[in-house]
Amino acid sequence: MNRFVIAEPQNCIGCRTCEVACAMAHKPADIPMLTPENFRPRLKVIKGARVSTAVLCRHCDDAPCANACPAGAIVVRDNSVQVLQERCVGCKTCMVACPYGAIEVVTVPADMPSGSVLKTRNLKAQAIKCDLCIDRAGGPACVEACPTKGLHLVDAAVLEATLKARREQAALVDIPNLPL
Amino acid sequence: MKKVITVCPYCGSGCKLNLLVENGKVVGAEAANGKTNEGEMCLKGYYGWDFINDTKLLTPRLKQPMIRRQRGGEFEAVSWDEAIAYASSRLKAIKEQYGPNSIMMTGSSRGTGNESNYIAQKFARAVIGTNNIDCCARVCHGPSVAGLQVTLGNGAMSNSMNEIEDTDCILVFGYNAADSHPIVARRILHAKEKGAKIIVCDPRFIETARIADLYLPLKNGSNMALVNAFANVLINEGLYDANFVANYAEGFEEYKAMVAKYTPEYTAEITGLSPELVRQAIRMYAAAPTATILWGMGVTQWGQAVDVVKGLSSIATLTGNLGKPNVGVGPVRGQNNVQGACDMGALPNTLPGYYDVSDDAARARFAKAWGVPSIPAEKGYTITEVPHKIHEGKIKAYYIFGEDPLQTEPDLGMMRKEFAKLDLIIVQDIFMTKTAMVADVILPATSWGEHENVFSSADRGFQRCYKAVDAVGDVKDDWEIYSLMARAMGYPMHYNSAKEVWDELRGLCHLYTGATYEKMADFGYIQWPCPTEDHPGTPWLYEGNKFDTPSGKALLFAAEWRPPLEKLDNDYPLGLCTVREVGHYSCRSMTGNCSALQTLADEPGFVQIHPDDAKKFGVKDQSLVWVSSRRGKVITRANINPRVNVGAVYMTYQWWIGACNELTVDQLDPISKTPEYKFSAVRVEAIDDQKWAEAYVRETYSKMKADMRKAALN
Repeated sequence: MNRFVIAEPQNCIGCRTCEVACAMAHKPADIPMLTPENFRPRLKVIKGARVSTAVLCRHCDDAPCANACPAGAIVVRDNSVQVLQERCVGCKTCMVACPYGAIEVVTVPADMPSGSVLKTRNLKAQAIKCDLCIDRAGGPACVEACPTKGLHLVDAAVLEATLKARREQAALVDIPNLPL
Repeated sequence: MKKVITVCPYCGSGCKLNLLVENGKVVGAEAANGKTNEGEMCLKGYYGWDFINDTKLLTPRLKQPMIRRQRGGEFEAVSWDEAIAYASSRLKAIKEQYGPNSIMMTGSSRGTGNESNYIAQKFARAVIGTNNIDCCARVCHGPSVAGLQVTLGNGAMSNSMNEIEDTDCILVFGYNAADSHPIVARRILHAKEKGAKIIVCDPRFIETARIADLYLPLKNGSNMALVNAFANVLINEGLYDANFVANYAEGFEEYKAMVAKYTPEYTAEITGLSPELVRQAIRMYAAAPTATILWGMGVTQWGQAVDVVKGLSSIATLTGNLGKPNVGVGPVRGQNNVQGACDMGALPNTLPGYYDVSDDAARARFAKAWGVPSIPAEKGYTITEVPHKIHEGKIKAYYIFGEDPLQTEPDLGMMRKEFAKLDLIIVQDIFMTKTAMVADVILPATSWGEHENVFSSADRGFQRCYKAVDAVGDVKDDWEIYSLMARAMGYPMHYNSAKEVWDELRGLCHLYTGATYEKMADFGYIQWPCPTEDHPGTPWLYEGNKFDTPSGKALLFAAEWRPPLEKLDNDYPLGLCTVREVGHYSCRSMTGNCSALQTLADEPGFVQIHPDDAKKFGVKDQSLVWVSSRRGKVITRANINPRVNVGAVYMTYQWWIGACNELTVDQLDPISKTPEYKFSAVRVEAIDDQKWAEAYVRETYSKMKADMRKAALN
């Protein structure tokens, strides 16, 4: 089962600390400061009339984005859905396919090979989405930063423990005998 | 990498954090296990430190003393000797010609700390000889201090922030914790998880309203009517604690008579709330074994603010929710050290430690300690009276310390006009600001992170900030600048460290005597009163229901409801309420220079408007619009927002282009002199040529930033 980060709306205060933590965790090291151009959080805080919550990739086990990608750029690695940026062609099929609006295609400046004859635009397409901060020692930056602990990393073990607790609650809770 | 313990310089939650320092430069921040934050922080704590490094994203750091010899001319960089000689000789001349009360000063509720505020007020009282010193508590929780000092005896939160999560009921009144104090909002969430009832009174459906058991969307400007209705129900339904009232309160008969007509049926038209909802809410509050009231600017930034504070205090008194843990009254302070600036006497009516300036014995004691014959007994001016006193010719010089009144005060057009008439403006700050731009002398100071100091958090907790890095440039600690000025004016003032200042201060104030630097070391948290060195501090006030009023009893008080000053009409059909934004702080000179925070939200800010009003005025979401009042006109971006009420619009006050204080009305509470920021009549107009509007904002912003850099000579 793929791992994913889930947001609890009841604990969200809409402060967007998670968005900044995400943007900072994914900021290329050679960019000194965040700017509007490179501010690309992979989760978004949505505030409706009555709900505030962060929306981000669920790392679907049968991921529509991966199924739709014609370039084979979206793969499963370490129980998560990851993008191989070097394969992305920027076709945006994944954006159309994702039911959560959690993947976005952007263009970033790219270094062209030196001496290249066909020097066209120095831009590279990237499909960006939650990567669970897979290469970050402390795990997902958003989970760590959330001041109300409203974001959780869920894996098979966490889910199993939750289900077990709920089954026990269902079985052992003192409820009156109801006729079928 | 070095880790340096400090306290976050934004909001009064008092979060401890570690600044990460590499090669003498701050490179990051991590949450530390402080008393109030317990290892958590919000975005300002995590990403609000890079302004120290002079990013120049909004405005440059000040790095050298500067003088402008002619109004309208350029600044000129000078030596400290020359700057001090120039500023002190001109102050002295003004004092000689017009008297000490012609000079006005501010304290600073921000990164400078308690020691420098103590020295600033000492400079005002001992060197200049005036009580004309005030701080931005005036435009914030001034009414809470004024109101609670009368009803209970102390102007601060009665109980600790930590206790919020163990109370059985929280009444949130005009307080948006999620935007103002995320770390306090977290306590409210914990309380809810533990089973507390939550009642929210706010015209906007704020984040806390989402988890509330009862939500009371009262009309803007009806606070007093609702608080009186609460009292009316408590008394008429016999829900109050008669024993507590009989033994520990006074003024009940007058109070009862005053609220008699304010039945929920009578107030329904004023508040827009159904009588049943009002009854349910106050019954819920009264039924809780322990209950806490939290309030913010939604109570204090009105022409009738002190009365409402006293009213809320009376609700707590009526129900016996004082004098024990997990109860009380909670005016949650907005700026990191606005509690501290008040504690230190940066107020025109109190000396450090809240001794009234009319207290002969206290004045004599301070005069003796400071080596001056006397300290003036008459109250000084408030910062909100400044434009009027300039107009009357009574204030000639303004020595502004770490504040930006030309951004944060109401009716900026009028402010600028009056500022131009001053003989002398001295600005002591870390950044070039709108106010510094019109100064005659600029005295550059060290920033938070570049000096050590003590802050007071919202629940009276003293905490230490350690120095992380050396300042870049020819700058000095604020207390040292005042000492130089004092010596130049013939008063012997000299300190070797902030600790020396602190030790003098705590020796003079019985509330703070036991709060030593040693006890506050690392994560030490000492809440005043702390009268002796073996005293641990006081997490909650009024033990044994003994209040710090002259009679020892809590005063019950109510007043007739008064409507807001400004009236809506066809030209100005919407009520503007100024509010706060989670990622920015105060005048924005700090957060606007933090890359992450300014990326999250930048000029020209937003005006929040209900979808129905947006439709009515032809406004599209995210489009640029004009907002105008009877005083001014600014451009900003529309945020169509179903959480705000019809008939009102909301703007945050830190934008320099979308500056809502160009619009606000200069109507003051009669007692606390706090402006009615929460209600100005405005209109919102769509702009057809959005392309032009976007270019206008871009060009205005670029020019503003370029002017600031040029003026700062870097």
